[in-house]
Amino acid sequence: MDTIDISNLNRQFLFRQKDVGEPKALVAAKFIMNRVPGVKVTPYFGKIQDKDEDYYMQFNLVICGLDSVEARRWINATLVNMVDPENMESLKPLIDGGTEGFKGQARVILPTVSSCYECSLDMLNKPTAFPICTIANTPRLPEHCIEWASVLEWPRVHGDKKLDTDDPEHIGWLYDIALRRAKDFKIEGVTWSLTQGVVKNIIPAIASTNAIIAASCCNEAFKIATTAASYLNNYFMLIGTDGVYSYTFEHEKRADCPVCGGESLDISVKKDWTVERLIEMLVEKQDIQIKKPSLSTPTKQIYFQAPPQLEEATRPNLEKKVSDLVADGGEITVTASSLPFNLSLRITYT
Amino acid sequence: MAQPDSQELGEATTAIHAQPDSKTRRYDRQLRLWAASGQSALESSRTLVIGATATATSILKNLVLPGIGHFTLLDPKSVSPADAGNNFFLNGYSSIGKNRAEEAVPLLTELNDSVDGKASTKDIDELLRTDEGREWIKSFTLVIAHNLGKDTIETLSKLLWDGLANPPLLVVRSAGFLADFYIQFHEQCIIEPHSETFPSLRLTRPFPALAEWAKSTDYDAIDPTDHAHIPFPIILVKETEKWKAEHNGELPKKYADKQSFKSQIRDLQKKMDEENFEEAEAQSWRISTEVPAPSDIQSLFALSPLSSSADSQSASTASNTVFHALLQTLKLFVESPDGPGCLPLTSTLPDVHTDTESYVKLQKMYKEQAAKEAALFKDILKKTYPDTPLDDSMVDLFVKNTHHVKVLRGRRWGVWEEDKNAIASSFGPAPAATATHLALSSLANLQAQGIEITAEALQAGVVSQLPPNAELPSALDDAIGELVRSPTADLPNTAAFLGGMIAQEAIKMITKQYVPVNGYCVIDLVESWTGIVGAP
Repeated sequence: MDTIDISNLNRQFLFRQKDVGEPKALVAAKFIMNRVPGVKVTPYFGKIQDKDEDYYMQFNLVICGLDSVEARRWINATLVNMVDPENMESLKPLIDGGTEGFKGQARVILPTVSSCYECSLDMLNKPTAFPICTIANTPRLPEHCIEWASVLEWPRVHGDKKLDTDDPEHIGWLYDIALRRAKDFKIEGVTWSLTQGVVKNIIPAIASTNAIIAASCCNEAFKIATTAASYLNNYFMLIGTDGVYSYTFEHEKRADCPVCGGESLDISVKKDWTVERLIEMLVEKQDIQIKKPSLSTPTKQIYFQAPPQLEEATRPNLEKKVSDLVADGGEITVTASSLPFNLSLRITYT
Repeated sequence: MAQPDSQELGEATTAIHAQPDSKTRRYDRQLRLWAASGQSALESSRTLVIGATATATSILKNLVLPGIGHFTLLDPKSVSPADAGNNFFLNGYSSIGKNRAEEAVPLLTELNDSVDGKASTKDIDELLRTDEGREWIKSFTLVIAHNLGKDTIETLSKLLWDGLANPPLLVVRSAGFLADFYIQFHEQCIIEPHSETFPSLRLTRPFPALAEWAKSTDYDAIDPTDHAHIPFPIILVKETEKWKAEHNGELPKKYADKQSFKSQIRDLQKKMDEENFEEAEAQSWRISTEVPAPSDIQSLFALSPLSSSADSQSASTASNTVFHALLQTLKLFVESPDGPGCLPLTSTLPDVHTDTESYVKLQKMYKEQAAKEAALFKDILKKTYPDTPLDDSMVDLFVKNTHHVKVLRGRRWGVWEEDKNAIASSFGPAPAATATHLALSSLANLQAQGIEITAEALQAGVVSQLPPNAELPSALDDAIGELVRSPTADLPNTAAFLGGMIAQEAIKMITKQYVPVNGYCVIDLVESWTGIVGAP
């Protein structure tokens, strides 16, 4: 779905200056077919979520060059769900890679057989979050001033107009506001580059690390496709900042993985916790990572984030105790727009 | 992670309100790692790559994209059908029969307009035979060689080792799924290793302004809001003073003492959840030591510069001369009665749970003290080394990074193999990596002698590199099996993987940022691992 940005050119060898603004998939496919005669590349310029199981079923394996946790969770859950034990063709190996600066990792996932992407969510770094009260009342770092501009000032001034972090004018506006706030508080260090880095959550990326990880992903695909050698079981991690350090290991399946484990997640809750407190806990939980969960039991709705009428109707439940709504050992189903599956929780009280 | 770098980057490149220029935007994702200083080092570098193989062009791809200044690709051979099938930087079958370097270079330079690339069809062995050729090779910043014959590598590595100012040599060998590489260098001085070590906040030896603030803080006299805003460095300075007074001037060193120090801080809380006190407790590891400098920095104080009279005028030696002058100045600074008795303070303050006013005040305090100490450092430097040409920004950078500067001393290519016992003892900690390295060496020997590659011949070659009766690890059979299967294959995936690894190392060598490999890095893409052997 992505288009080519000038900042891609420091590491993308299929794109040139003249291609900036063009769809990545189309330009890449054209370049490869031109350079390597006899190869057929079919580009698809669109969202992965818009394709159904039939689409993914036509391939033998899937390699991810995705840049977000959300998209990776989606393709992972989709491929796990596709597995039909009666039909081995439905099991599509998934190869995933990612980099940050001089570090990266590559892994092979055999859906339902080996540890899946969801099994390892807790290995991700926790994203830096600044408390709203710091941003609003006691800013200290240049980042606090930038968050003030993007989280508080942008919606206040622009109302419903969406912030486009790829629009230099929008970044310029944020930079301006952040700089002014920084001056008011005598805080140093707000720059254009930092502003862009904070609002876009930019991760440094270089050609060489991407080459290592891309090669590693292709190499595993090559070994699976040709059986020329055994493939990675199942995780390769590389750190190139201090010499070369790598670690190859088998990441283990999680029995209570909500995608491939088949068991519900045990959650213990204090008897006096409100629904709101439970939601707060779920949002903070590193191994589920959800933003706005909606909760229900098999028989009733507990709280729904949308549509607005339903949200309003279920809002009074936020203040109620969970233990008044769900029995000990009872189940809660969690859904969220960022969650590509229904998460089932078994609640016990302490 | 990239936060301090990105601030410097912004200061250097951003005009108020306008977005950065197109070069800065193009290189944004890498400038966040190595900043303008690293970029300028890359742009003024000249790299020679010997052998226009799939691996060599992959390496160059990853150096052209980030914008190295110049490269020359050297190869007299013409493109074979096998080359056309595995090298992405050739024009497919239409390149067959044409010179490998000349076919690849236009497809590499096309990746980035600002890179100057040249093809040379000369033969490396002939160049090594003439003075002119040898001088030309030595004129580069870095030399990279892929799968060169054993004799050529020996001559080349000796030539480049003979002189401190000669460029480092990166020797890359690969066959099928296996590979290793080695960087031959005399000395690599690294001001910015980007290690995740924290500079001291000077909590156990507070400078006057900090000590004064701690002393004048009376927990009971301030109102509850301010109490919850006392910055953790102030709390720790104050509590450390108190602890020392009650424990004969000792810091809490034993586990039990550290626990009671923590509870001493916990007891200061007036309400539940005072985040500043929780933070002080969590940060109390910072007061566990009072050494003037970490031991690895101390050991650099005793290091004398490498010397070779013939090279005293050259640029590269001069830059290490400056680095060593800075190290000796650092030693004098730590010993100076006018100084703090430890490494100079860095002005970088982490985020602290407090109000804006206190934070800005604390930050200013650290900044002013850091500036004072930097001035003292420069005084000592000027007095001790009046004739050394100094770049002020390099001195500032050094002073900022004294807690983790690094010096690597390398060895000539092949020196490790001269000690058979050293190789044998490497089987213990790294059996597979050692076995794979030896198997690759054995392969190179057989190829140099024109002997047929068989498992028996490879095995005999490995045994000849070891002391008599050395026990062979089982991993050796795997490595030999793989080499017999594909003794000459330059697999695209292996080439691409090496292309990334070697470019990372080249960037580290050129920018003098991050830490390059010292020893052999061995790579097995059957089992997907890397390992290091033969580190000095």
